[in-house]
Amino acid sequence: MYVGQAIRRREDERFLRGRGRFVEDITLDQPIAHAAFVRSPHAHAAVTRVDTAQAAAMPGVLAVLTGADWTAAGHGEAEGVWPVKDMSGAESRTAYRPLICVDGVIRCVGEIVAMVVAEDRHQALDAAEAVEVTYEEKPANTVTARALDPDTPLVHPGFGTNEVMVTEHGLKAETEAALANAHHVTEVVVPTNRVTAASMEPRAYLGHYDRVNDRYTVWTTNQAPHIVRRYFTKSLHIPEHKLRVIAPDVGGGFGMKLYHYPEEGLVLWGAIVCDRPVRWVGTRSECLLGDTHARDHYTVGRMGFDENGKILGVKFETLAAFGAYESQWQASITNAYHFTMLSCAYDIPAIHTTVRAVYTNATPVDAYRGAGRPEAVYQVERMIENGAQEMGIDPLELRARNLIPPEKFPYQTALGISYDSGDPPALMEKTKALADYDALRDEQAKLRAEGQWMGIGISAFFDMAGAGPVKMMNDLGAKVGCYDVASVRVHPDGRITVFAGSHSHGQGHETTWSQIAADRLGCDIDHIDLVEGDTDRVPMGIGTWGSRSLSTAGMAVYTAADRVVAKAKRLAAHMMECAPEDLDLADGEFTVKGTDRKLSFAAVANASYHSGDRPPDLEIGLEETSFFDPADCTYPSAIHLCVVMVDPETCAVTLRNYWAVDDVGTVINPMVLHGQVHGGLVQGIGQALMEECAYDAESGQYLSGTFMDYAIPHAEDVPSFGLDAHFTRALGNPLGAKGAGESGTIGAPACICNGVTDALWHLGVRQITQPMTPRKIWRAIEDAKRASH
Amino acid sequence: MDGVSVNFTVNGREVTATVDPRTLLVHFLREHLKLTGTHIGCDTSQCGACTVHLDGKPAKSCALLAVQLEGAEVTTIEGIAGPDGMHPMQAAFKEHHGLQCGFCTPGMVMMGIDIANRHEAPDEATIRSELEGNLCRCTGYHNIVASIAAGASASRRREASG
Repeated sequence: MYVGQAIRRREDERFLRGRGRFVEDITLDQPIAHAAFVRSPHAHAAVTRVDTAQAAAMPGVLAVLTGADWTAAGHGEAEGVWPVKDMSGAESRTAYRPLICVDGVIRCVGEIVAMVVAEDRHQALDAAEAVEVTYEEKPANTVTARALDPDTPLVHPGFGTNEVMVTEHGLKAETEAALANAHHVTEVVVPTNRVTAASMEPRAYLGHYDRVNDRYTVWTTNQAPHIVRRYFTKSLHIPEHKLRVIAPDVGGGFGMKLYHYPEEGLVLWGAIVCDRPVRWVGTRSECLLGDTHARDHYTVGRMGFDENGKILGVKFETLAAFGAYESQWQASITNAYHFTMLSCAYDIPAIHTTVRAVYTNATPVDAYRGAGRPEAVYQVERMIENGAQEMGIDPLELRARNLIPPEKFPYQTALGISYDSGDPPALMEKTKALADYDALRDEQAKLRAEGQWMGIGISAFFDMAGAGPVKMMNDLGAKVGCYDVASVRVHPDGRITVFAGSHSHGQGHETTWSQIAADRLGCDIDHIDLVEGDTDRVPMGIGTWGSRSLSTAGMAVYTAADRVVAKAKRLAAHMMECAPEDLDLADGEFTVKGTDRKLSFAAVANASYHSGDRPPDLEIGLEETSFFDPADCTYPSAIHLCVVMVDPETCAVTLRNYWAVDDVGTVINPMVLHGQVHGGLVQGIGQALMEECAYDAESGQYLSGTFMDYAIPHAEDVPSFGLDAHFTRALGNPLGAKGAGESGTIGAPACICNGVTDALWHLGVRQITQPMTPRKIWRAIEDAKRASH
Repeated sequence: MDGVSVNFTVNGREVTATVDPRTLLVHFLREHLKLTGTHIGCDTSQCGACTVHLDGKPAKSCALLAVQLEGAEVTTIEGIAGPDGMHPMQAAFKEHHGLQCGFCTPGMVMMGIDIANRHEAPDEATIRSELEGNLCRCTGYHNIVASIAAGASASRRREASG
């Protein structure tokens, strides 16, 4: 069995030898021209003049294109994949992100005004600087909490408001009653900071148009090439069968590389206009500004407890930033992944949430690793922590009293979602033991007596992963079917190529999908190759996002492989003159049960293509495709526990220890699983302590345009991690797998904020807005001191 | 463009070229020599994906002009494996899952080799501190630290036996 083994990754050697093939590495027969973009330096402005004459005359320039050219060509927009839906039935106020400014209004810094295509990079950049644009600046607002204030400038005046829509979920009357009758009510204002994925590979696109054969090709840094193909039908109106989308090696995605971005459409447009392949590779500044941003909720929450600390009800009121436009998958957060997860790992009888989505003059917000769930967990867990502290109940003990007991599974939350399986109390016991929790509390008391500020943070949560099923996700707003696809092609020599609709950009599918296939096919893993990321080679696919690939594409590999085996057994049985049920397949050989009669899988594969001696109703060939629609979402769960030290002199936070115990269902490869958790944790740690997409509140100017200003964690900023697991099988797919991509980012911000709050509670500190920089911690301590005087 | 002539060594081979004076070393390696293993992740010399060895020491090739390299010896990620297989540091990254998407990996490996060159038996704190110029967004560093520690140990064993 390969499943369950820490098989070393089959994709590693090409990366380790510098032979990865990323979009920027692609070469073509024709010389590739370069695109550069003219972007608005203002957050809100009218464009009164665009003069391209000087730029167009510069050396090497092939074209200078503007919004007027786009409109004249009849091109469209990047329509929503998961558009917003107002629960009241009212029209939601949708304004999709334009590929290029077409209406003369700039609504956020970085919006594209013109594209220059030139022979080389330097010529393109020089000419972009020579494009003259006159702007008439307007007042802007980038602050989510201010979006609905009466004097706030409107991002889209035509709507008459900055409110995109309102959603409400849960049990309103029951929640109000629970809060009214509670022994204790905790109220916390919790803004979730605006962050961005910052994958190490910048976004990059290469477009090519073969005029003679009328075929288009786009190489893209994307997680879901078939979905990109679908949305080119809306932007450039290219029929799907004419366009090949290739996502080769992609250097990290984290959700951010899921979208049909402006530059992707524009680069192919440039290729069509110039009759030359055109490439753009984002600078880090362009990416930090133009990649979708994430989170940016402003939430007021109230949680009611009985005298024993049992949670009776919780109410949330949230302003959720959209940024200047509705990004393609935005409502997967607002309409699906945020509200559904507000019960976390707790048995809460009454929950009610209202989300007002709002426009601001900032970069559009969309899904980034966790997508709504880090916000939800942060919102819930901050209240639990403060409630426990206020009531004088040990925070772990209070949580333990509220965890969903195993006998309540499948557990129906107050928000209408049903968690299929899990055992939060078992996770808590393991976490407690792993961290030696009681000893930590003793140490904390001892250190506090010495004037040292140690804090212990905890978070406990469920994740909704594994999207679909198709129907459920359609009901939650998805305009794409959330299934996935795999073909298993057995070649005449018995070797196998698997084609999958998922896309690996760090997840290691070449290894894990092969582990699944090799077990099902009873063959050596080295006899399997995987193809992903090419719409001309892979029949269909919905791509890799939302911790879904294993329980959809992985399951499609599993199912297609089983169909191959079933067909091969029929042929083998014919050849061996026995019944298919009499055959076992292992180690590349069919064996007749209870005998020593054997026939190699390769011989059967060869016969399937080249022998006329077969059952009359058996088709030639040995290749099967599965479109796998899971029976349910998956619900991974986890508990995190950390120790933070806050320096009383500098107010700097040191994350001393971090433990996480995960329930991800069946594990294909524990090494890959741990890698996923580690990576997510550090992104979550970044959100808690360092990262912020900051805007100047007055001018709307973006302040986080380089890695000097946008602080992603370095190796020295984080500890090594202590991981453990407790597995319950997922019920929605035969593998029993739940997905593991997002646990780290979902749980870490809440866990660390709770730890810092715990460290500073005795000083009167109740809440610190993320990222918890030394300055903010110092300010919170000073404010607490003043409040107590 | 008035080209400037430059001669230096890349992965043991002499290179002579006439380049636009504003050509960065990383662009020269990637576009002129087609050594695309060296990556650009930030443009401002924070991320270290472009790390190469310049006369045996790590250098960020996005912060050097090709014309500065006259007479220098440059080694890139493509130049460290031997005829018998990967360099011990490369092998350690595979063994310890020190990479996910692979984009920062060449820079991490080049930096790891340098850490191993300068430290007898680098401990976790030393490795984390030494990686101040290299960013990774996938691995959370946990397994990169383990890879470099193991790679350093394996490199020493190779020297001892060689």
